[in-house]
Amino acid sequence: MMHLELTKITKSFGSAIAVEDFNLAVAQGEFISFLGPSGCGKTTTLRMVAGFERPTSGTITIDGNDLTNTPPNRRNIGMVFQSYALFPNMTVAQNVGYGLKIAGRTRAEIERRVSELLALIKLEGFARRYPYQLSGGQQQRVALARALALSPQLLLLDEPLSALDAKIRIELRQEIRRIQRQLGITTIYVTHDQEEALSLSDRIVVMCNGRVEQVGTPTEIYNYPATAFVAKFVGHINLLPVSVTDPQHGLVRLGSQSLRAGRYAQLNGRPIRLAVRPEEINPGAAETANVLSGEVESVTYLGSIVRIGLKVEGHPLALDVFNEHSLQLPSIGQPYQVHFPVEACWLMEDSEQPGA
Amino acid sequence: MNARRTNWWAIFWVVIAFLYFFLPMYGTLDFSLRMQRGEISLLAYEIVFADPRFWQGFQYSTLMALITIVISTLIFVPTVYWMYLRVPQARPVMEIITILPFIIPAIVYVFGLIRTFSRPPFQLTLSTVTTDMLIVAGYVVISMPFMFRAIDVGMRAIDVRTLTEAAQSLGSNWFQVLAFVIVPNLRIAILSGALISFATVMGELILASFLVRPALAPYMALLGLTKAYEPAALAIISYALTWFSLGLLQLISRGGTTRQITGR
Repeated sequence: MMHLELTKITKSFGSAIAVEDFNLAVAQGEFISFLGPSGCGKTTTLRMVAGFERPTSGTITIDGNDLTNTPPNRRNIGMVFQSYALFPNMTVAQNVGYGLKIAGRTRAEIERRVSELLALIKLEGFARRYPYQLSGGQQQRVALARALALSPQLLLLDEPLSALDAKIRIELRQEIRRIQRQLGITTIYVTHDQEEALSLSDRIVVMCNGRVEQVGTPTEIYNYPATAFVAKFVGHINLLPVSVTDPQHGLVRLGSQSLRAGRYAQLNGRPIRLAVRPEEINPGAAETANVLSGEVESVTYLGSIVRIGLKVEGHPLALDVFNEHSLQLPSIGQPYQVHFPVEACWLMEDSEQPGA
Repeated sequence: MNARRTNWWAIFWVVIAFLYFFLPMYGTLDFSLRMQRGEISLLAYEIVFADPRFWQGFQYSTLMALITIVISTLIFVPTVYWMYLRVPQARPVMEIITILPFIIPAIVYVFGLIRTFSRPPFQLTLSTVTTDMLIVAGYVVISMPFMFRAIDVGMRAIDVRTLTEAAQSLGSNWFQVLAFVIVPNLRIAILSGALISFATVMGELILASFLVRPALAPYMALLGLTKAYEPAALAIISYALTWFSLGLLQLISRGGTTRQITGR
């Protein structure tokens, strides 16, 4: 039996369907991310687990107990909000100890647990401060400690880092993962930031328009995207419209140039695209690889990498090169040849959501 | 720079406004001190303070004001909270309803009350206790615009929904959410609503005089019919009382100005 099970969850608001046929089984101690663009239903699903929304149909169980209709205050689920939601009238210690006070623990017990938690989030000296005296990152740590105080069976985080600056965000996300591992607490993390999802999760649930697109480990999601949406949403990807010349060997044609694809979808006459990630493409030609010739359209400096934009047979193609000292950047308009390994590219059917 | 140039129009209007508000008050104060011919004295004040009817009126009005504040807080905090949480679309309706006491004249309102509650089945005007109940109900309605608006502003400053959800996920029931999280964060809003309501009830004339209860304002009006200096002294006293309330309000809310609005 899995720890948390969501079975056939559907949620509609009036005629609008927010979540449709959502199924997920989460193991004890697993770190799961819900990843998707805004409005994809990830937060709604999380709120149903927390008990703030009731599913239109479907069930939610934890350790086999059906919680679908249990009010949020009887679920023992810790929740961290994007806006921190610390109680402004209470000190850090009172915030962290709030759940324990409601649960009727003794004062000594509350004090012990609060100092334990403040040590865990490394804010020992801050017990008497008020939320307004803390930075955003510190407030979110306190919110995390508060959510963990009752040793909940599940920890839910709703875009907890979105309101913080880039640097604090990376620090705090490592911190969250460390604490999660240390406590072994089953966690669901909602984010629209693919980097967060990839770097934190045991498994990622990619969602779009209320549906699950793919569930998998970060490697599976990035290297083997199941749908065109996942391929496009997670990471950058080049999608070149090609026509199949030899289905047995995966030979395709882009304009006048011939290419070979490693993994290919069933070819049934629908429009086909060749997918390849920019980091798999290298400058220059190589004998055993796919080679494409085009013209440089743009050179974008991104710090550790440089993204070169090409036009190949009238279609855009991006490649990433490491910003090494020896790197000679091409000039715009210059003819440019690139190559990529056959295993690095695959064929995909054109998705029904061309704009996604 | 342009902004630094003295704005004579602004100063002109400030002076005009100052004269408009303070000249009559100065006149009243000056008049109230001249009860004894040819000298400045506090005789009018002494007479007022020595009159047991003044103290009776003062006590009665204070008591009614406090009861009004308790009842309207108990009515409006949960109502506005519920509106924010569950029916935010009802807000325009609430705004219109709560402004009605400004639109309907008090005299119309009190006649309505008397006509309805001086005959069966709700004959409340027969005994003093039930009349007091009626008058408190009336005061609650009259102070409704102030109370609603103050609490509304207070709720807007905190993220009611998220704080509620945070408290719920930590095991609180509805009562605990209100008592430990919402109300403490509305302390200043409730106090400001309460103080304005207090000042309103202390000066309320029509309800008390038509329901014939010994409140402060009817006593003042009565005094004004027969005496000259004492009503002026009373006016100054009631001004002082109102300003004291407002000063108290300033003092209390200053403690909260450094508080950050909950993150959003």
